[in-house]
Amino acid sequence: MRNLLTTLFALAMAVAGTVAAAPALPAYDFYAAVAMTKAQKNSSTPADSGLYRRNAAGAWHHFGPRILGVSGLAVHPADPRIVLIASSDGVVRSTDGGRTWRKTTGWEVADVRSIVFDPVQPELVYAVTAWGPLRSTDAGATWQLAQKGLTLLFGQTMVADAARSGRVLIGTEGGIYVSRDAAQSWQRAKFPEVPVLRLTQGSSDAKVLLATTLGRGAFLSQNGGESWTPVDPATAGANLYAAAIAPQDAALLALGGWQAGVRVSADGGRTWTDRTAGLPVKNVFVLAFDPGVKGRLWASTFEEGTFYSDDLGRTWQEGGLYGAYGYDFIFIPVARP
Amino acid sequence: MLPTPFLSRASWIWSAASCVALAGALLAGGTRAAATTAEESQADADIARRYQLRREAVLDAAIATLDPADPTKGWYLDVAAALQRGERREAALARFAKLNEPVPNQNMFWTYPMAAVMAAGHAGLDDASRARIRELWKTYWPSRGDTENHWALYYASLYIAAQGLPGAGPEQWFNGKSSVENMAEAKSYLEHWMWVTTSYGQGEYDSPNYIQEYLIPMSLLAGWAEDPAFRQKARMMLDYLIYDYAVENIDGFYGGAHSRVYPRQIVAPGATSTSAIGWLLFGFPGQAADPANTLLAMSGYTPPPILERIARDAAHRPYVERELKRTRWRMRHAGPDSFVIGDKRTIPVYKYSYVDADFVLGSTQGGLLQPIQQQTWSLKWRPADRAKETANTFFSVQPYSSPVEGTMFFSENADVVTDLIARSKTDYDAEDKLPGGSPHEQVFQHKTALIGLYDLPAGNRFPHVTTFFSRDLVHTTEDPSGWIFAQGGPVYIAFRPLAPGAWQPNDWTGLLRSGRGGWIGTGFAEWGSGHRCFVSDALRNGYVVQVAPVRDFKSYADFQAAVRALPLQFSTTAAPEVTFTALDGSVLRARYGAVPSVNGQPVDFAAWPLFESPFAVEKRGSRKLELSYGGERWLLDFTNNLRGEVSGGAAK
Repeated sequence: MRNLLTTLFALAMAVAGTVAAAPALPAYDFYAAVAMTKAQKNSSTPADSGLYRRNAAGAWHHFGPRILGVSGLAVHPADPRIVLIASSDGVVRSTDGGRTWRKTTGWEVADVRSIVFDPVQPELVYAVTAWGPLRSTDAGATWQLAQKGLTLLFGQTMVADAARSGRVLIGTEGGIYVSRDAAQSWQRAKFPEVPVLRLTQGSSDAKVLLATTLGRGAFLSQNGGESWTPVDPATAGANLYAAAIAPQDAALLALGGWQAGVRVSADGGRTWTDRTAGLPVKNVFVLAFDPGVKGRLWASTFEEGTFYSDDLGRTWQEGGLYGAYGYDFIFIPVARP
Repeated sequence: MLPTPFLSRASWIWSAASCVALAGALLAGGTRAAATTAEESQADADIARRYQLRREAVLDAAIATLDPADPTKGWYLDVAAALQRGERREAALARFAKLNEPVPNQNMFWTYPMAAVMAAGHAGLDDASRARIRELWKTYWPSRGDTENHWALYYASLYIAAQGLPGAGPEQWFNGKSSVENMAEAKSYLEHWMWVTTSYGQGEYDSPNYIQEYLIPMSLLAGWAEDPAFRQKARMMLDYLIYDYAVENIDGFYGGAHSRVYPRQIVAPGATSTSAIGWLLFGFPGQAADPANTLLAMSGYTPPPILERIARDAAHRPYVERELKRTRWRMRHAGPDSFVIGDKRTIPVYKYSYVDADFVLGSTQGGLLQPIQQQTWSLKWRPADRAKETANTFFSVQPYSSPVEGTMFFSENADVVTDLIARSKTDYDAEDKLPGGSPHEQVFQHKTALIGLYDLPAGNRFPHVTTFFSRDLVHTTEDPSGWIFAQGGPVYIAFRPLAPGAWQPNDWTGLLRSGRGGWIGTGFAEWGSGHRCFVSDALRNGYVVQVAPVRDFKSYADFQAAVRALPLQFSTTAAPEVTFTALDGSVLRARYGAVPSVNGQPVDFAAWPLFESPFAVEKRGSRKLELSYGGERWLLDFTNNLRGEVSGGAAK
């Protein structure tokens, strides 16, 4: 899940005008970026694809344009009318809260995998694609290639550091790269040279980052990504696609992957517990702690549906989207009247 | 997103109806059909006249598909042809309305026929049709897709559609861009593609199936782009692509190595779009309905006569054709041999074809040059019987499937990419598949001799090499010398495996014959039955192939004796290696992982030409193609946008 959450959470709190010790959790709109691949027969095109929004009754409804390869969503932290979608066709932008849409990239941009606003300067937006990163200086209205310092360009995950504006981390085919100048240039991070599948940052403690890899398990950073330590030896050789940090407690972590199921740590990554029991398969692509429901963990399996747990994975309930191949969960705060 | 198969499906659906109509049109116009026989005058006027007759037959057939009493018959291109000609207008409009009832879901395979109706049928459309067209372009978001042909189709049709909706603002388009913006984006991409193709070679090169998907978009632009310079470039690209096919054809069959081919078409080369296109363009046998033919016919494009003279050439054969191509863009695992064009990585593809009057033996260097459907080398011969399912081909494959290959070309995750590919290309992950490239394969060809070497790592998913023996081969003999001899029509074949093997029926897993393979196995009983494969499962492996025209030997026995006498040394104890003296006396030496040599001279891959044959010689990066035949010259200069006969050093 995107670290955009940090800023949005703060914004929502500010809008609500409350900084109380135990505030009521803000409301969020919950989106899933998925492709409905289970029903895909004799075709390489999924039966449906795009963003789905979950309503109060727990039903999912398609949101936005029906584009193939939608893998992410970002909302302007200060102007929620500005919405960006990451898709195979490029970046698609709305300036009216999703009523109308415009593709703001040209033919040069394809396979956008992740997109985030800078939490402090939201006119800056960053994206990673299968062909290299992008940056925008006008809230996603126009884009420039941002490849300086990179030799391997494939990326599918990124974090815009909630603690330092202009600091961006991307997961590439060959490890993590860091930019300190708003994606104008990149330097290698102290991280193994392996494909990075998911990067996420703590909301309550921005120094905590969790990264998952192809074949090398997961790594945790306690210093904002300056150094990384492998965690969860039981999955050290696994392909881990999912990583989550609880928004209210950066010591509460979750990992998921191919044949790895769901792993949960409640002690900052020191010990891990397998929480796969109750899920129909051990193939998990997305995990996220629900910022609107304390302790709720969401999991997206490969084509067997979405599930949630209110007891940190001890038990699971069906959450819909059967048949989906999930790319991301996105929570967007809704200002309460 | 993964490659989309539905063009071929849509085409076949369309073709089924249109084929009947085309046959009827040809029978009705006896003089037209008669005008397509091979022994025809090669004078410019005669070539043009015959092409015009075939072109009209294509349009007659398309229009005949529409039934005034039944608006469920016919397809968009039939509607376009009828409206362009001003025939069966009411039937065409009724069919068009019916086609447009459901929300489209075919992405770029919807955009191009829709654009064709808008362009070719412009004058015949009624207000209701125009309104529905505007509505669909506003509400339906067609995907751009993820292959080079997808993008060519998408952007050419977007350009033509936007041109047909002048002044339409962002609110009138699915993607929120105005007509002006859409045209600019489309033109920018297409000109980039033309630049890359004419400089470094085509990415989805020489596909007997997917040539269709390039002729269609170029026909749209060649026929209806209002910008004269852009229209000219599209006509030049049509000449370019058609030459690329003509110079490696045998009687209309696309010879040699291919970027993409399906199971049916790899077995039965006549069942491809190329055959239909070869009939329209040059009058080769194999006429069939094909959307590329309808677009070409409607567009008004006429191939320059030099292309037919090259396609039908007998005077220069045999000759060697060398071509430079490139792989599809690699997003991961690009490898040390990759280089960058723009900001995308690819590796060169070195094509080599020996083009004889009776056959084409052609190859690439092997390796993963294209996802899923690569054919690294093939022999195709002129068949005596031109039935559609004639299996006039011989080739080998090292079946390989891997997330490495999938993630090299697609953005999906490693653990699901193979599964997702096999949702449509169902044979991709099958041990008995026939198309496909392998990173453990190296192929080297010199004229009529070819060496394939394999060094498979332990644990390789399908640790064997398959060689396809068609049911159309005769006199197949396993000689005590280790050679396997066979005859395919007018060509003798000698195949020497470096390791033992066993015979298996093709499709030995039953995937395609059982129907489990889905649409790619359709009609398997006709095209897929009766063949067999020589399957060798040594990890270090290889073979030598020596072919010769039947006309060069007094008898089959003489050919066999000549091959038995050829010096051959090989070893598979370490990296496989072969030293072979071919029938022409050349000494070929190949060692897995090393540069091969001919008569001690290493092959100079660095100097490999963009094109090199008796008809054209172009260096990498030339951005032009100058064809010559006899004293005639035809120039395609993409830098200066010149197309035409060359006289006194300049294009007329």
